Amino acid sequence: MNHRERAVAVLLLALLIGSWELAAGWFGWSALVLPPPSRVAQALWQGLSSGYLWPHLGVTALELLLGLLAGCTIGFGAGVLLAEVPALRRQLMPYVVVSQVIPKLALMPLFIVWFGFGLAPTVVITALICFFPLLETTLTGLARVPQAQLELFHMLGATRWQTLLRLKLPSGLPAVLAGLRVAVVLALVGVVVGEFIGAGRGLGALVIAAQGTMDTPLMFAVLVLVSLLGLLLYRIALGLERRLLRAYATG
Amino acid sequence: MSFLSLRGVSYGYRWQAPVFESLNLDLAAGEVHCLVGRSGCGKTTLLKLAAGLLRPTAGTVSVRGAPLTDRRALGFVFQQPTLLDWLTVRDNVLLPVTLQRPPGRSDADSADALLAQLGLAGCGQRHPRQLSGGQQSRVALARALLLQPALLLLDEPFAALDAITREDLQRDLLGLCRTHGTTALFVTHDIAEAVFLGDRVSVLAAGHLAHSVAIPPDTARDTPAFGACCAALRTALGLTGVAA
Repeated sequence: MNHRERAVAVLLLALLIGSWELAAGWFGWSALVLPPPSRVAQALWQGLSSGYLWPHLGVTALELLLGLLAGCTIGFGAGVLLAEVPALRRQLMPYVVVSQVIPKLALMPLFIVWFGFGLAPTVVITALICFFPLLETTLTGLARVPQAQLELFHMLGATRWQTLLRLKLPSGLPAVLAGLRVAVVLALVGVVVGEFIGAGRGLGALVIAAQGTMDTPLMFAVLVLVSLLGLLLYRIALGLERRLLRAYATG
Repeated sequence: MSFLSLRGVSYGYRWQAPVFESLNLDLAAGEVHCLVGRSGCGKTTLLKLAAGLLRPTAGTVSVRGAPLTDRRALGFVFQQPTLLDWLTVRDNVLLPVTLQRPPGRSDADSADALLAQLGLAGCGQRHPRQLSGGQQSRVALARALLLQPALLLLDEPFAALDAITREDLQRDLLGLCRTHGTTALFVTHDIAEAVFLGDRVSVLAAGHLAHSVAIPPDTARDTPAFGACCAALRTALGLTGVAA
């Protein structure tokens, strides 16, 4: 983006928020239905300055990171294993697919029975959601290594382990990182909805609490925080991708 | 004794008619042997058999009278450069070493020397995608030559290059083979390329080596002798009309 486009982008955002603000006053919408941006900003500022929002934000971030870490690690590991052992892939893939077509959020009540309220069920559901994109992209990434490169490694007497570490993983890395980017966005959905159902703390639980007290500006403030958290994680994933793929991208 | 010897080699892909039946091919040490044929006649398959990437259904492939066991005695250049994008040019060249042992100072030096000989001095720290197609082919050639293999197998390595770059690379390849006394089996569909590079040129057609021509040494391009060799090969390939 050049300076001009940047200026247009800022202007567009200001225009959208400004017209929302004006429309709210003009039509006299109730703050219960759609609070004007000024009220949302006020609620957000109050929550942050009083320290009320921080613990919830912390819990959500913690669940998100734990879930991402567990889901991505297991998904990546399983992807490598299934890619390397075709017999295992043929046997296990149907189970993996079934585990994914079950709407995972519908399992949340079950997880509450198993793991209780709070951190554990939310982390489990987040991990379950992150697992699949990583598995899928790792599988495809490792399977798409060009035949000539495999023949080259065979010619050079590379062991299976060397072929995995020095050819298949680097070759599949772009796909794996694309999977990570998808997983980060999905993980946020998992955390927030998991907290809706099974938690007393966290941003998702706060949305439900605010709904209970009809505090719509607070709900919006929390949504702003959730979006910012998602944006931050997405930027981190993107930055990681740029950094790791620098050698691949020079054209 | 011939250096590379294929004796009575047969090969067929499953469910298909055999590609070769009882094929014989001998290369003397230090010989550059070119193999021409129409596309799909099994040139690449023959090369993979010689490299031990495929096993013949009958017959034997031997190097210096023994079955090929140590692939490090062998350099292979693919149709595409087949470089690893995430490694630097120098690390690509060093790949045959780093897969066996940690590379030493002397390995890095010989990689740099090869790159310099191929006109890529100072490109060692760049990545393959920053190079032109011709330069990538040169890197692939340097990689195949790093361990100074006694036998070099080349599968139409210059087919995708423009005519000028191709002639440069042909000259450099020939120079390197002569310097190191490398025996080379070069597969191509370009008759002029085969005549320029080869000490001998064989025509592969219908699963047999149909024709084998010895090229007089130092046959320069655009001479009557060069034209005569090309014409003979064109006839053997069943191409009629005015010779190029």
